[in-house]
Amino acid sequence: MAKPVVTVVDYGMGNIWSVLNALRYLGSAPIVSANPDEIARAEALLLPGVGSFHKAMATLHRTGIDQAILGAVSKGTNLLGVCLGMQLLANHGSEDGYKPGLGLIPNPVDMFTMQEVGSQKIPHVGFNRVRIAPDTSLFKGLPDAADFYFVHSYRILSGRLSGKISTCVYGIEFLAAYEKDNIYATQFHPEKSQTNGLLLLQNFLAL
Amino acid sequence: MVHKRLIFTLLYDQGQFMLSRNFRLQKVGDLAWLQTHYNFSKISYSIDELIVLDVSRTQRSPSKFCESLKALTEGCFVPIAAGGGVRSIEDANRLLRSGADKIVVNTALFQNESLVSSLASEFGQQCIVAAIDIKHTAKGEFQVWVESGSVCLEGPAASWISKVTRGSIGELYLNSMDRDGTGQGYDFQLLDLIASETSKPVIMAGGAGNAKHLAAGLADKRVDAVATAHLFNFIGDGLKQARQSLISSGVELPLWDVQFLEQHLGAE
Repeated sequence: MAKPVVTVVDYGMGNIWSVLNALRYLGSAPIVSANPDEIARAEALLLPGVGSFHKAMATLHRTGIDQAILGAVSKGTNLLGVCLGMQLLANHGSEDGYKPGLGLIPNPVDMFTMQEVGSQKIPHVGFNRVRIAPDTSLFKGLPDAADFYFVHSYRILSGRLSGKISTCVYGIEFLAAYEKDNIYATQFHPEKSQTNGLLLLQNFLAL
Repeated sequence: MVHKRLIFTLLYDQGQFMLSRNFRLQKVGDLAWLQTHYNFSKISYSIDELIVLDVSRTQRSPSKFCESLKALTEGCFVPIAAGGGVRSIEDANRLLRSGADKIVVNTALFQNESLVSSLASEFGQQCIVAAIDIKHTAKGEFQVWVESGSVCLEGPAASWISKVTRGSIGELYLNSMDRDGTGQGYDFQLLDLIASETSKPVIMAGGAGNAKHLAAGLADKRVDAVATAHLFNFIGDGLKQARQSLISSGVELPLWDVQFLEQHLGAE
């Protein structure tokens, strides 16, 4: 089966190489682009990201990449947001001050609170177990619960969201992966989650 | 509950990978040697994280280090932290574009705090691993050493650690220079130097020589991850066996099925 050409959105804040490394390993030939026109025309989009929500949104807005992504998604292009790339899909974020997000996942992104995590540490770093929603496309082939690598201090809560909601618990239950129509997102890093993550990326390529 | 981690640390010096003993370096082999003899990519399925440090004492070549990092981490799908000589945002960016997910900072923690806070605001605190090299004095006190363990900072280690921990960092990597490369086991006294209310994850390093040492580290409540840089003790099947013995003795390390690759991706 022909795999889509995945365009990895490069806005200067992603672990681009790792994402490309995993996609290439799976036999895909990804394109890296910061060009809104190319992004708008992509066969499939991957929005990576490591860093500050505020800064990332400001960059997406300044470059017009935000509108390019929204345009592509409204045409039905499959989008996978990873880590900060998932958070950017949210309604708004509070990292470094209030900032609207892309609004594709209708919940906010806020920092884990001490009340939530209790004696556990922030950031949430390491492999943690994801409770996988039934009948997802992304997790096809994996058991009901599987370990994935997380590194984040901010989270989206899973309450009130529709779609296929896979969760993880770190003191509080939060959104680990999201799947609705052509919008896919993971708070964890599939490209850093050994064979569990490779399988997920393979599933995204097979959509 | 987040799983504890088993980390392997590779030490790089001008194209060669090194074995360190009390911070004295010994050449082991280059990347080709590592791949040929030990199939490093396969070994990475036995660890939860990889740390690669440029420990060159003379002139560093960041671009060569990044090339090696890229080649090394092809086929590695674990978190990778890299560092050694990070002096600017640009240095960090180059590493992050060569396969690193996190940046390891050592000397700058003490001598260039503004760099550490700019790195944190650029990439997020979780991206910063604060590596602290610690050594006993003859009197049994602990001191922090910087610049590849060549310069001793005045004052007790505990106050330096406390200062670093309050700063914009994601994790602490505590390395015992006394135990480094000795294979005698971790120095748990280092953990007493950390304030009990510390909220940053702690990686233990320096001294692990076998799976029992790793297990002892992971059993300590204050420890979030254990690291070893002991190439000879753990390379080959060593890490795989160590991981298996940890899991079968009840340590809750993350699980993945390496067979997935053959089953689902085998046609590639």
